[in-house]
Amino acid sequence: MSTRLNDSILIRWLRGILTNKKALAGSFLVLSFIFIAFVGPFFTYDPNAFLDTPLSPPTFTHWFGTTGQGQDVLAQTISGARQTLLIGFCTGFFVVVIGALIGGISGYYGGRVDDILSMVINVFLVMPGLPLMVILASWLPPGPLTLMGVLVLTGWAWNARVIRSQMMALRGRDFVSAAIVSGERNIRIIVIEIMPRMLSLLASSFIGASIYAISAQVGLEFLGLGDVSTVTWGTNLYWASNDLALLTGSWWTFVPTGLSIAFVSFGLTMINFGIDEVTNPRLISERNWRKLLPKGKMNDGITPVVINHD
Amino acid sequence: MTDILLSIRNLDVEYITPGDPVCAVKNVSFDIARGEIFGLVGESGSGKSTVVQAILRTLPPPAIITGGEILLNGKDILSMSDREVKKFRWQEISIVMQSAMNALNPVIPIRKQISDVLYTHKGYSREKAHQRIKELFDLVDIHYDRMDSYPHELSGGMRQRIVLAIALALMPPLIIMDEPTTALDVIVEREILFKVLELRKELGFTILFITHDLNLLLEFTDRVGVMLKGELVESDEAVRINSGGQHPYTKKLIGALPSATGPRRKDLLPRPEQFKIGEKPLIEIHNLNKKFHLSGFIRPKMLHAVKDVSFNIYPGEIVSLVGESGSGKSTIARLIARLIPPTSGTIILDGIDIFKSEPRSASLNYRRKVQMVFQDPFGSLNSVHTVFHHLARPIIRHRLIPQAELYKYIIDMLETVGLSPGSLFADKFPHEMSGGERQRVAIARALSLQPELIVADEPTSMLDVSIRMHILQILANLRGEKNVAVLFITHDLASARYLADRIIVLKNGSQVEHGNSEELIQSPQHTYTKQLIAAASPGWLKKNLLKTNENRDSK
Repeated sequence: MSTRLNDSILIRWLRGILTNKKALAGSFLVLSFIFIAFVGPFFTYDPNAFLDTPLSPPTFTHWFGTTGQGQDVLAQTISGARQTLLIGFCTGFFVVVIGALIGGISGYYGGRVDDILSMVINVFLVMPGLPLMVILASWLPPGPLTLMGVLVLTGWAWNARVIRSQMMALRGRDFVSAAIVSGERNIRIIVIEIMPRMLSLLASSFIGASIYAISAQVGLEFLGLGDVSTVTWGTNLYWASNDLALLTGSWWTFVPTGLSIAFVSFGLTMINFGIDEVTNPRLISERNWRKLLPKGKMNDGITPVVINHD
Repeated sequence: MTDILLSIRNLDVEYITPGDPVCAVKNVSFDIARGEIFGLVGESGSGKSTVVQAILRTLPPPAIITGGEILLNGKDILSMSDREVKKFRWQEISIVMQSAMNALNPVIPIRKQISDVLYTHKGYSREKAHQRIKELFDLVDIHYDRMDSYPHELSGGMRQRIVLAIALALMPPLIIMDEPTTALDVIVEREILFKVLELRKELGFTILFITHDLNLLLEFTDRVGVMLKGELVESDEAVRINSGGQHPYTKKLIGALPSATGPRRKDLLPRPEQFKIGEKPLIEIHNLNKKFHLSGFIRPKMLHAVKDVSFNIYPGEIVSLVGESGSGKSTIARLIARLIPPTSGTIILDGIDIFKSEPRSASLNYRRKVQMVFQDPFGSLNSVHTVFHHLARPIIRHRLIPQAELYKYIIDMLETVGLSPGSLFADKFPHEMSGGERQRVAIARALSLQPELIVADEPTSMLDVSIRMHILQILANLRGEKNVAVLFITHDLASARYLADRIIVLKNGSQVEHGNSEELIQSPQHTYTKQLIAAASPGWLKKNLLKTNENRDSK
């Protein structure tokens, strides 16, 4: 029995991403952060230990300087990446899975099922997310799982809505009817036949949700609503602000963490652009052919004539 | 030929890609004389529409014109400046496009859409434009109180006539018609073409007519050009093409399609009568009704799509449902395939009333016995899975064949529908196959469950002319070899005649006529069937044109 994976849509798609400059740059950025987060803490100082004079600017022993508690900022930034990225990507994953499940079922079955699930989705959509997040985070015992739960609860509905409408569009296609006629079970049709067709949507939803989770998480922790005893990018900023970093002019306590957040989000956004271009070839081809045309031969509603273009 | 209106010389069009440019049109040359109707025929992808768009210079990026000349009245369109091109479009050449619904703006009344053209190009005042629109409506036989209608308030035929009126608005010497009637039903199609011929007699414009339907062209045009893969392989008088043509491809096109009238051709498909048909009905359909809810909650507006349709299909028989779009034939297909529930009625399969025994959804047993082939082979296969997956899934689901024999069985199935070697096709993805190959895969999938009835919903209408007959041939063979009954749904009377034992004619959801294929074609009873057959017979246009001329003369 042979099944060919080579040239399946997933492989074609990955190949596209690997040749897309934006996606490559973004992946490189994000992957290097993940790598540093994973390996880095084995090589740095203990991020919680008192090491040197508090608030000393960058030196050769402490590349990014020290905090108000005399901790190494480099070690804190690297250890912080671990939990922040882990929670960020896990939240992104669960947001997409729950969104796909509820949105997918709602869009596929339609009728009464859709009425009820749509209502649930709408309730979560109109609930003010930020205040709810703040209240839940301060009321529940602090910890990474709490944070994840709060972020998933306030974040899944938008994804569910998007996936629901995509599902409704694909639901009416003939390939779905053909699967029904051949006796296929509904859940199998959803997961095996339809979901792969939404791959690009799911992937970009995951990335979007991860960006949301990282920034929301940092925001909550900055407000002191996370577990302040752990080291994350959010608590780094929380302590920097507590130690009056701005007043004392000790920029090195918050700039590394801030830049890391910005770079990761930037990298993820670049990947998203890349996915967009790969799955929607029009975006990229327009730019390509513009480059290939001789100067002054643009198509402004009138097809250019290029004789002897060799 | 003395007075040449449009002359195309060595036209080349390429699509820019990051790699090598793709040639869409290669070295195409032809002339159109003033007052003539020139037809361009070819399958999808042959470049006929590209030629048209090159003439108007409306080719979208990444296309560029890389060589040649397009002379209209001696002036080269390709060397014009952008401003000149904009002025000359519509003044000198106008176009009637395939889909009138897309060509018209749905949120603007028709009057405004025509007066826009008059205002932009001629600077007409309101009153003057109004006067002109009235004239144009008269020309295309639409009463001018429809002027303020929106496009959706008109029928498909009326919309296409409005588009024709817009094309005529500035009286350009050349009108291009790009598949203007493909989306219309046969009877309406003939009416529109008839109107065009009349108008041409009156106003004397020249027409460049594009279609994939060679039979239509031969009847309608003076000269015909045949395109294949971006090249013009033949161009000659329509009469001479009709008697055979020179190029093998033209010959293939001419011989490809059966006609609804005249004596039956022996070489195309085996006569239906020679097959054995079972005694006891396989499936009985009684008073099937389907109403769709359109809008409104308290006082709902309903569409009665299928009205009291009853018929039987016997084992090994091919029954054809013939009707125009909106006649309810696809709804009947979906009802029988149990994709949608009926409003009322019964379907009895093997003596069991299935809506009583399986009210919610069809049982696996029913699914195995009744399979469906869909119209669009691009939509009915899932682009993320291989052919193997498409064929294996139903078999695994129904536990029809032990796992060990599955692969061999699938290869056999593929070879049954003419995809050999089967092992090569089993590994392909839908996008790696042509439309005809995909439709064969869809048939193989339906067949793999060894069904007793295959519902085929317009299986050939999306395919190119030259492969339609192959698909019909496969269906005809199946009933002989596997004794499968087929419900063949089509709008094309000719293919129904050649393939089916019986024909049921539908109109607006009701059965209007039902009978043996040849008898029904030779001696139709109902007026609607007569109209359908008349519209499908060759020479219809010219006959009618002569008739109206005589009427006019006698007045």
